[in-house]
Amino acid sequence: MPRPDAAAKADAFLELRGIHKRFGGVHALRGVGFTIEPGEAYHLLGENGCGKSTVIKIMSGAHAPDEGEIVLEGKVYYSLTAIQSLSAGIETVYQDLSLLPNLTVAENVALNEQLVASGGRLARLFDRARLRETAASALATVGLPTDRAFLGTVVSDLPLAQRQLVAIARAIATRAKMVIMDEPTTSLTRREVDNLIAVVERLRSEGVAVLFVTHKLDECYRIGGHAIVFRDGQCVEQGPLANYTKQRLAELMTGRRIDAERYRTGAPMAGELFAASGLSLLPNVRDVSFSVRKGEILGITGLADSGRNELAMAIAGVMPATGGSLRIDGKAEKIRHPSEAIKLGIGYVPEDRLAEGLFLDKSIFENEIALVVRDLANGFGVVDKAKGRALADKLSQDMRLNTRNLDLPVGALSGGNQQRVLIGRWLSILPKLLVLHGPTVGVDVGSKDTIYRVIQQLAEAGMGLVIVSDDLPELLQNCDRILVMNNGRVVAEYDARETDEDQLYKAMLVSKPVTQPAVNTETAR
Amino acid sequence: MSATHLTESAAVPVPRPNRLLELVRRRPEIITLVLLVAICVAVSIINPAFLQPSSLVDIGRASVVMGLFALGVFIILAAGGIDVSFTAIAAFTMYSMTLLVKNHWPDAPISLVLVAATAGGALLGVVNGLLVHYLKVPSLIVTIGTQYLFRGILLAFIGTVWIMSLPPTMGAFGRLPLVQFDSGGRTITLPFYFLVLPAAALITWWMLNRTLMGRAIFAVGGNANVAERLGYSLRTIHVFMFAYAGALAGLAGIIHTAANRQSNPFDLVGTEINVIAAVVLGGARITGGTGTVIGTLLGVLLVVVVNSVLVMVGIPSTWQRVVVGAFILLAAAFFVFCQKKN
Repeated sequence: MPRPDAAAKADAFLELRGIHKRFGGVHALRGVGFTIEPGEAYHLLGENGCGKSTVIKIMSGAHAPDEGEIVLEGKVYYSLTAIQSLSAGIETVYQDLSLLPNLTVAENVALNEQLVASGGRLARLFDRARLRETAASALATVGLPTDRAFLGTVVSDLPLAQRQLVAIARAIATRAKMVIMDEPTTSLTRREVDNLIAVVERLRSEGVAVLFVTHKLDECYRIGGHAIVFRDGQCVEQGPLANYTKQRLAELMTGRRIDAERYRTGAPMAGELFAASGLSLLPNVRDVSFSVRKGEILGITGLADSGRNELAMAIAGVMPATGGSLRIDGKAEKIRHPSEAIKLGIGYVPEDRLAEGLFLDKSIFENEIALVVRDLANGFGVVDKAKGRALADKLSQDMRLNTRNLDLPVGALSGGNQQRVLIGRWLSILPKLLVLHGPTVGVDVGSKDTIYRVIQQLAEAGMGLVIVSDDLPELLQNCDRILVMNNGRVVAEYDARETDEDQLYKAMLVSKPVTQPAVNTETAR
Repeated sequence: MSATHLTESAAVPVPRPNRLLELVRRRPEIITLVLLVAICVAVSIINPAFLQPSSLVDIGRASVVMGLFALGVFIILAAGGIDVSFTAIAAFTMYSMTLLVKNHWPDAPISLVLVAATAGGALLGVVNGLLVHYLKVPSLIVTIGTQYLFRGILLAFIGTVWIMSLPPTMGAFGRLPLVQFDSGGRTITLPFYFLVLPAAALITWWMLNRTLMGRAIFAVGGNANVAERLGYSLRTIHVFMFAYAGALAGLAGIIHTAANRQSNPFDLVGTEINVIAAVVLGGARITGGTGTVIGTLLGVLLVVVVNSVLVMVGIPSTWQRVVVGAFILLAAAFFVFCQKKN
């Protein structure tokens, strides 16, 4: 039951005090406390598994804390229910978006407003006119269409970026006083991110507090506000974001020094490993030519619709190319199916590791050997477990997995460790060329560091790597060369040591090819 | 490469999804309607007797009990669950109601009997809902359990004797005509109880599309965890939907008894799959979150028509199952095909 509390700050919207939460033997939150004031922006920073998600769930009423107090507009609660939290104006945009795939856009955006207005009681008429009105105004705010056809579209028919905006629209459809956004920009293009930042500005000017959870520090600085840094379930630092450098924040999150310098120290070896000429995957990829040398790391970037994703899939045979030719070790080859790519020594680590890559309920061991399980089997199809174990053991050591228990289900691991398991699986086929598609999406700073070090080691050992990513610092830190795609074509090529984010962004956004001395005339013809 | 070149390449048309397939994907019950019309046309060409009022009235009469069951199953399917206990609920309520009225109040007004049967069915449904919610066991398993439980209690404690003569008010309700006319020297009667099906369909449609509870049922069918996180009370929804399905089953049971002018405690159980098949043929996905009331009714009509017309075109009745099975496979394959194409 809420009770008035004289000690609470009059102007604070929400205050957490000494919050503890345990799951079984895991002490996820150890006495966390912070204050949220109206109209302010906060950035909740920390590595995966540091307790960020748990604290969000406590604020949104999904979990009850074991100890501690939640002071909401001057009233003290020991826990909140989902409806209490929503009625108080706390809205959350979850990382998984929490959309209902079978309902329409309008229902996803605005149904909750009616649910909250009825206090969670369901024996109420459902007001369709109000639903459309509320939905349309919220969609307009985030820059989505508001016509009837779009309002009536079923959410599972929308592309991911639009779903993310729909989830944000739902959060602002009610008269929210605080909006929590858990990695809201992972699938947004730069323009959509700009739009989101404008939306946040507007919310703040209306006195709405915004709490971000993100790994993208650049975006934090663009938004400004306060940093709240978590480590191991504790709040280790709070203060205005401007007081910290990126490097200092990374150190606070990990508790160790993180080098933001270039990871790439080696150089490509002689000898062409892979070459594509005139590669097309209509209508997304048109006439793309490039080559990769042994031990070379090639970066490919571009906007979400530039064709970079399809190019990666064409190389791996996931979506076979519709034209052009490939040369591997000097021999012309065709890749029509992922199995053909594997035979030719091309590995592909997909972007969406949960949907396309990992078997979440299977063990690390089973995931690691998935590609070579046939080679491990004898004539009767019985898998040599001991051999498989030894292989999985070696791979997880190579990938510096932070658990020795290979029987753990992959679903129980953090994002960073899952990604390492997935990369490890591909190393089992001893690829000549490894295509990494968004290798650190949703991965925390510490895991990023490990993955980058592994990437460099692989290149030193002579493997060719292609990193397809929209994380520009990642490409600048790791690659030899960076290709920029725009409208299905490669429009620019840069030496990673001689370019910067601004130059890359310009090439990604400009609708005509940049006239740049570094442009490879052959590819940009 | 020039700027114009780029504009050109951007203007290359993206292959448009086939409009017809898109429509069928969004409204799968169109397939059900097409199948239904195709069968009716084919049968009436082979045997024009099909178009006589008497066979149409037969189909209408045969749809009532199955239709009521199907509406209940549809609601549970829409919320991502499944119910196989409804036939046992119907048998339980119809037999104990008949026994109660016959032994204690033979002149009970029929409206009261109907309300009591509906309430009794709802009560058994609440048991289902609470078990599903608190045991956190899939509803298929829970309702297999309660099907045995309800039926076992009925046969062990209430009775196994076939009641051949109904209390007078119930018998009269079964015979009460809505429309009556002469056709070829025979008197054809569309019974009054036929009205119960459209009324129940209308109420169900209204509940699903015009109340928050209705949208909540679909929300839970889309993703129960997300719905809970958004503030929907899963307990309320589980209890309500199983109670609703139970109420429809109780009502269907009493109508079944009145229509057949007898009450057989061994009746009904075993026809669950037939009803679930009809709902799935009507376009509701077994994984939940989709479907319409109209589709459900079309699915029921399709199954009833197949069951009753095959004889008219000279196909032995033993082939009914083959035909219904083939339709289910065909329709399911087609739904999946439409989804892939888009």
